[in-house]
Amino acid sequence: MTMDRHDILGPKLGDYVLGDVTPEEIREIEGHVRDCAECAAELGELSLVMEGLARVPEPVAPPPELKRRVLESIAGLPKGGQTVDAVRRGWSTGWLAAAAAMILALGGALYLSQDRGRQISDELRRADSEIAELRTQLSDFTGQTDLALSILTASDMQRIELAGSASGARAYWSATQGLLVAADRLPVPPPGRIYQVWLIGGGAPVSAGVLATPRTGRGILIAPPPGGIARGPVTVAVTDEPPGGLAAPTGSKHFVGSI
Amino acid sequence: MDADASVVSRLAAGDMDAASELYDRHAGQVLALARRILRDYGDAEDVVQDVFSQAWRTAARFESSRGTVLGWLLVMARTRSIDRLRAKQARPDTRTDVLPDRMPSADVAAPDQLLSEEQAVRVREALANLPDAQRKALELAYYEGLTQAEIAERLTEPLGTIKTRVRTALGALRQKLRP
Repeated sequence: MTMDRHDILGPKLGDYVLGDVTPEEIREIEGHVRDCAECAAELGELSLVMEGLARVPEPVAPPPELKRRVLESIAGLPKGGQTVDAVRRGWSTGWLAAAAAMILALGGALYLSQDRGRQISDELRRADSEIAELRTQLSDFTGQTDLALSILTASDMQRIELAGSASGARAYWSATQGLLVAADRLPVPPPGRIYQVWLIGGGAPVSAGVLATPRTGRGILIAPPPGGIARGPVTVAVTDEPPGGLAAPTGSKHFVGSI
Repeated sequence: MDADASVVSRLAAGDMDAASELYDRHAGQVLALARRILRDYGDAEDVVQDVFSQAWRTAARFESSRGTVLGWLLVMARTRSIDRLRAKQARPDTRTDVLPDRMPSADVAAPDQLLSEEQAVRVREALANLPDAQRKALELAYYEGLTQAEIAERLTEPLGTIKTRVRTALGALRQKLRP
């Protein structure tokens, strides 16, 4: 330590904790503080002052739905230590890698189903509002209302959150009644493409049908259970494909979720 | 290891119950800070989501000897809130975030103690009791993320004056940490 550096850098410790320093100053200050007990002590106190300033606003009660939103967003992330980029890379390298990302998400999805047990009354209220919302959407699809209600009320129905580019995409899967997929704030598909929904239950992806887009930004599919899907864990994926759909997926994945 | 730090080590192991517990303990304070900075409820809630997602991803790097869990969450909340504020105001970001998503460097800024409830209250009171000019300068720096050069420009005061006010204000708050 030299006195010169101490005299120059000491007064900058406040700038450092406030983030008002250049990258070069950061390196100098951090280097100096390692050797200077006085500055290290001051910096420690300034860190506490910063935390004190952060705690000046009195805590508020977050809106009740925020917790669900936060936990659902975490459930779609890889666990600590993994990077999101690693998963993003997986998405672009094909189904196998995407399956790995799905498995990472599965831990979160399992948690949500356990959490459901503990927070049953919350969940019932949410389910009520979801069904009410879905009923509204279904007014355009009167011919399929019965099937949709059969799926939603089936004893084996499981809700699957679909992670991807729409903030509100969800699937309801009943192995006995069928599949309902509803997406809100859906991006416009690439030119000349439509959204096709796939079910994967241990074997090759099976088409569940094409996502109808009655209104911009909304997508819905109500379909009986496709053949070839065994009871047990399934993955729902949405890809873009040529109009009319294909027998096997070829396009980019937009949403995916698993149980 | 205190209860908070043990929640974070469970978080690092991928325990979703820990995420729920951490949220219950601290979301109210994180949201309060984000609202104070952003003055927009929707944006502040987005920040809460970002902060807990970031905590989930980076929990393995948290070191309990370097500060409190709440302090760690609040550093992330401030950084993300100010980033949003600057983006909304189309202010170029000339700041350099020292502690964006990590604890202070391993050998740096390790306080001898963690901030106690009592100290937090004393800092709050001391901020309220600062001379107006000092408080204003520090609030612009901390809650709006302005550089001291930007504060000088906004208040049409010399940069040296602003630097002195911020430094004096920080010094006064430091004094209040001590019993």
